[in-house]
Amino acid sequence: MIGGLFIYNHKGEVLISRVYRDDIGRNAVDAFRVNVIHARQQVRSPVTNIARTSFFHIKRSNIWLAAVTKQNVNAAMVFEFLHKMTDVMAAYFGKVTEENIKNNFVLIYEILDEILDFGYPQNTDTGILKTFITQQGVKSQSKEETSQITSQVTGQIGWRREGIKYRRNELFLDVLESVNLLMSPQGQVLSAHVAGRIVMKSYLSGMPECKFGINDKVLMESKGGKSGQDDTRGGGYVKNTSGSSSTKTSIAIDDCQFHQCVKLSKFETEHSISFIPPDGEFELMRYRTTKDISLPFRTIPLVREVGRQKMEVKVVVKSNFKPSLLAQKVEVRIPTPLNTSGVQVICMKGKAKYKASENAIVWKIKRMGGMKECQLSAEIELLNTNDKRKWTRPPISMNFEVPFAPSGFKVRYLKVFEPKLNYSDHDVIKWVRYIGRSGLYETRC
Amino acid sequence: MPTVKGDGMRGLAVFISDIRNCKSKEAEIKRINKELANIRSKFKGDKTLDGYQKKKYVCKLLFIFLLGHDIDFGHMEAVNLLSSNRYTEKQIGYLFISVLIGANNDLMKLVIQAIRNDLAGRNPIHITLALQCVANIGSREMAEGLSVDIPKLLVSGDTIDSVKQSAALTLLRLLRSSPDSIPMGEWMSRIIHLLNDQHMGVVTAAASLIENLVKKNPEEYKGCVSLAVSRLSRIVTSSYTDLQDYTYYFVPAPWLSVKLLRLLQNYPPPEDPAVKTRLSECLETILNKAQEPPKSKKVQHSNAKNAVLFEAINLIIHMDSDPNLLVRACNQLGQFLQHRETNLRYLALESMCLLATSEFSHEAVKKHQETVITALKTERDVSVRQRAVDLLYAMCDRTNAEEIVGEMLEYLESADYSIREEMVLKVAILAEKYAVDYTWYVDVILNLIRIAGDYVSEEVWYRVIQIVINRDDVQGYAAKTVFEALQAPACHENMVKVGGYILGEFGNLIAGDPRSGSAVQFQLLHSKYHLCSPATRGLLLSAYIKFINLFPEIKHIIQDVLRSDNNMRNADVELQQRSIEYLQLSSITTADVLATVLEEMPPFPERESSILAKLKKKKPSSVPEGSEQKETTASKIPAVQMSNNVDIAPPTSINLMSQGESSTDDFVDQGSPQGGSASVDLLGLGSPTQPTAPSVGSGGLLDMFDTLTSHSSAPATNGIDLGGLSGGAEEAFRKFICKNNGVLFENDLLQIGVKSEYREDLGRLWVFYGNKTTFQLNAFLVDVSTPGNLSESLSIQQKPVGGEVEAGAQVKQQFNMACVQEFAEAPVMTIQFLYSGAQQKISLKLPVVLNKYITPAEMDANTFFTRWKALNSPSQECQQIIKATSPIDHEQVKAKASGYCVL
Repeated sequence: MIGGLFIYNHKGEVLISRVYRDDIGRNAVDAFRVNVIHARQQVRSPVTNIARTSFFHIKRSNIWLAAVTKQNVNAAMVFEFLHKMTDVMAAYFGKVTEENIKNNFVLIYEILDEILDFGYPQNTDTGILKTFITQQGVKSQSKEETSQITSQVTGQIGWRREGIKYRRNELFLDVLESVNLLMSPQGQVLSAHVAGRIVMKSYLSGMPECKFGINDKVLMESKGGKSGQDDTRGGGYVKNTSGSSSTKTSIAIDDCQFHQCVKLSKFETEHSISFIPPDGEFELMRYRTTKDISLPFRTIPLVREVGRQKMEVKVVVKSNFKPSLLAQKVEVRIPTPLNTSGVQVICMKGKAKYKASENAIVWKIKRMGGMKECQLSAEIELLNTNDKRKWTRPPISMNFEVPFAPSGFKVRYLKVFEPKLNYSDHDVIKWVRYIGRSGLYETRC
Repeated sequence: MPTVKGDGMRGLAVFISDIRNCKSKEAEIKRINKELANIRSKFKGDKTLDGYQKKKYVCKLLFIFLLGHDIDFGHMEAVNLLSSNRYTEKQIGYLFISVLIGANNDLMKLVIQAIRNDLAGRNPIHITLALQCVANIGSREMAEGLSVDIPKLLVSGDTIDSVKQSAALTLLRLLRSSPDSIPMGEWMSRIIHLLNDQHMGVVTAAASLIENLVKKNPEEYKGCVSLAVSRLSRIVTSSYTDLQDYTYYFVPAPWLSVKLLRLLQNYPPPEDPAVKTRLSECLETILNKAQEPPKSKKVQHSNAKNAVLFEAINLIIHMDSDPNLLVRACNQLGQFLQHRETNLRYLALESMCLLATSEFSHEAVKKHQETVITALKTERDVSVRQRAVDLLYAMCDRTNAEEIVGEMLEYLESADYSIREEMVLKVAILAEKYAVDYTWYVDVILNLIRIAGDYVSEEVWYRVIQIVINRDDVQGYAAKTVFEALQAPACHENMVKVGGYILGEFGNLIAGDPRSGSAVQFQLLHSKYHLCSPATRGLLLSAYIKFINLFPEIKHIIQDVLRSDNNMRNADVELQQRSIEYLQLSSITTADVLATVLEEMPPFPERESSILAKLKKKKPSSVPEGSEQKETTASKIPAVQMSNNVDIAPPTSINLMSQGESSTDDFVDQGSPQGGSASVDLLGLGSPTQPTAPSVGSGGLLDMFDTLTSHSSAPATNGIDLGGLSGGAEEAFRKFICKNNGVLFENDLLQIGVKSEYREDLGRLWVFYGNKTTFQLNAFLVDVSTPGNLSESLSIQQKPVGGEVEAGAQVKQQFNMACVQEFAEAPVMTIQFLYSGAQQKISLKLPVVLNKYITPAEMDANTFFTRWKALNSPSQECQQIIKATSPIDHEQVKAKASGYCVL
């Protein structure tokens, strides 16, 4: 289990230090600083073992978060916890920066006391935490309130308190996907996968039970006759009307994981996702697919080395989705050799610039419709060096945002049942949004 | 040097402060990338950069490089800066080049050209910069390229002093890094006159250079002695106010003095009386100055003064000619022996060690014996105590040996573990060398074993046994002392070994006393038996069989012991065999035979103490050569007395110390006709002048006697045959007709193995020379001659072989041979070497025979028979029938035929 948790700034100064177990000594703080933060060679591994003590660290901008333990813990659990921890901090005071941490250190210690008990992770749900850890002054609670908090935190449904009331029952569903790709210069896909998240914002009264339907192959086949959902795609929120017909086939999800509110027993037996949602925002599900991914963009590089002094680069970007849709924040990054002495770029669309500090040409296109083609050509002047090593030609990478799910993931239905209160599924306003972003989207050249 | 004020580079300052302000490593890398791109575009741009800009960018690159990033451009710009006339630009250029351009860079030629231009220029500052760069890089290419220019600067009349100084040091650097690429020229003779230069800096730099040159070629620079002496006397006699800049804490030019004194140590004492007197005066003055009260309490003052003084003493010791000076030096060191400063005491002891070897000062050193002994006991630093031991060893002679050995023995009990072994060896050597009374010697060694048994090496107790055996006046005393020593409840195993050996040989001498009767002696020895290692037990078993001879009355007790399961069925084969053989020997043979076989050991041949060799091996420097030679002649042990049984025909004796695998095979000596003098030396010390006969394997006891009688008159085949081929070589050579690998020759000193491979007309042969002795073989020389006109048909190329073969080591030599036409004779190889000073020569036929060059031809049955049938004319056929001497074994014939290369 986690023996202690430290937060450092970029210089390696300790901002927060919380030790949960006696086997972690005071010198552990310094050991991590000396061996990882100030290491001569950059430490790439997120897990470092120093003197039989394991350090798990993540870095957020200039802040280092390190969990330390002497035991053989589940590393995935520790990293999950560290990420949750940053989420919680972000939910309390916005961006995780040195300044913010310094200003909120009392709060952080309070949170740390709550979410880790003797090194065992506890409830890290922001919504619940906010009910009893507040940034306002201490408010004396009545006996009923305290007992309610206790029963809620320890009870069966720890993530939702009773007696929530909304005038408008509304819920928002975001399908967020990131596409990762590595493509050969000839256009052959070397590896590709999509990592998706379903984030939900619920503003529902009472203790509603929700049922969620997706176009997963396994779930669809088990349901047999039930037909799919609508095929609406597009920017912004679209009112989701359940029950309409669909032609789109199902997708194969490689693996997925759910929020604690999802009843896993029901998922096992009935292959249905049913849950009582927490109030407010939470991440309902995570999944990963590797098959039948529709790649939103295709990059075609053309590199010609003209002697030792000059190089010509031509890059064509093709968008490969419905013309009606618009991609945003498209950015292509073309690495340049280390001995570049000058660059001339011409492009039809967007803005392209040689960024010396990053050794790359950065080409930005604000908006780009589907089934379009853009081209950039650059002349790179090179300086003679006495270094005989050849340029390794790192891959061209892309960043973008598209309003659909590249995996083909679809929400078929989301039904809400609240037997005790007088609203039905039809009265709930539901919004679904699909956003596809780029992960590591690279093409070799 | 011009000031660089107002010449700062703003861009550089901004860049550096940007880097310093970076919050993270990533930010720093980004900033550097940006700057690199900027510099690249500037260097690439069509606009020519002015000197200032070039300097600025090169400087930035240098800074980036020093931050740990690779810089792969800008070298050309840096080289361009060299041709600038501004000091700052040149300086940055040279700086970049010394830091970034490796010795084997392509640009080196340009750099050297630029340096040459600067050296030829008029501006001394530029010359100095160039010299500095050369000294920093010091590559071979530079040494070759500038080998003319730098010496020219050094001896030319119109160079200024500071340039000369730099030139001398640069030349020294080049000489050190690539000594052979500097051609010697006319400047060499003029260089020593730099010692007369007005400028002290030049003299100091030149002194180092000249010393380096002198080390290589002392004759060439002989003239420097008188110059150095006169310079030295000028320094020594000057007051500290005379040499303003070169006075260090009231000591005039201490570094130069030290260098000059060192330089003089490369030469024997000057012959010219004038020079000699002048040098003596100098040294005397230095010694006198040491007596003066210090002019300053600062440690630097005394350090500088003492540095000069010690170097002067070293010179005095080196010259070793003026008794007066030596004695004075010794007295001076005597004062230091009690000095507060540990370093001084250490140095004093070390120098005195050298003084003790000089005949003039030996007596003077002896005066300080008390002090040294106190130092040995009270000194807190172990390295100082070590020096004290060395000094005691060096100052020891016949008069004070007893005292010194006593003190050392006493100290040994509490001595540091690190110096114990060496002390033990030294005590053993001193005791032997200066022993007047050998009972004292025996006492000392037994004490030694008692006190520091673990550190007593084999050689030490071998030696004591050799001496006891060779001197019959101490045998009785030794037996008595050993007997007493063994009575201690716990004795060291080495003590048991010595005890076993001596009682086995001379136990009868003390058996008269009922307290040490035969049975008592045996019981005493046997009480230790079970506590010992197998090697010692083997020795004790041999002692027991000797007891049977000495005391027939306890025969049955000993036979019982030998018969016990513990011995006869011991897991150790050696012990088992000894038990069985000794038991048989004692039960079968008559008393007469037994008495003959178990005769007292004959005296050992006289030879250099093996302990000394061991000490030399351990610390080559710690044994002063001079004294040792002198002493060995002085203290030679009286000639060995032959034992009484010299004229009795084959005097064989069982050597008690025979151990190890081979011991049972050759444990009965093949006595040579000369009588005991050539008995097999099983102590592993090897007497080279009398190599022994090869041992004859003997399985059982009766065999043993057979071979013994048959061999008793056979001459020893000792393998050293100066005229013809060495013994046994012809037979071995014949074996190689069918073999490619094997042992070609073997005797007691050397084993020669051969490995060969052949392909068509080319052959390659490796000869392995294995040194079987425990000594180094020196001046090892191998020569191959081709008898008759063999050289026309066989060309042999011989790879060189090193001049030494270490003890127990093996060296390899390769021969490449090409067969030009057929040949009948084999080349003869002559191996010559020095073994313990004796010249050895071995002549062998190199196993190169024609058939090795035969290549079998593959063919199927049809072709073979058509060819076979074609050979049908009478002259092509020949038949001879011989009678087989041995049955024909198919496999063996096949192996031989393939070895003969016909299959």
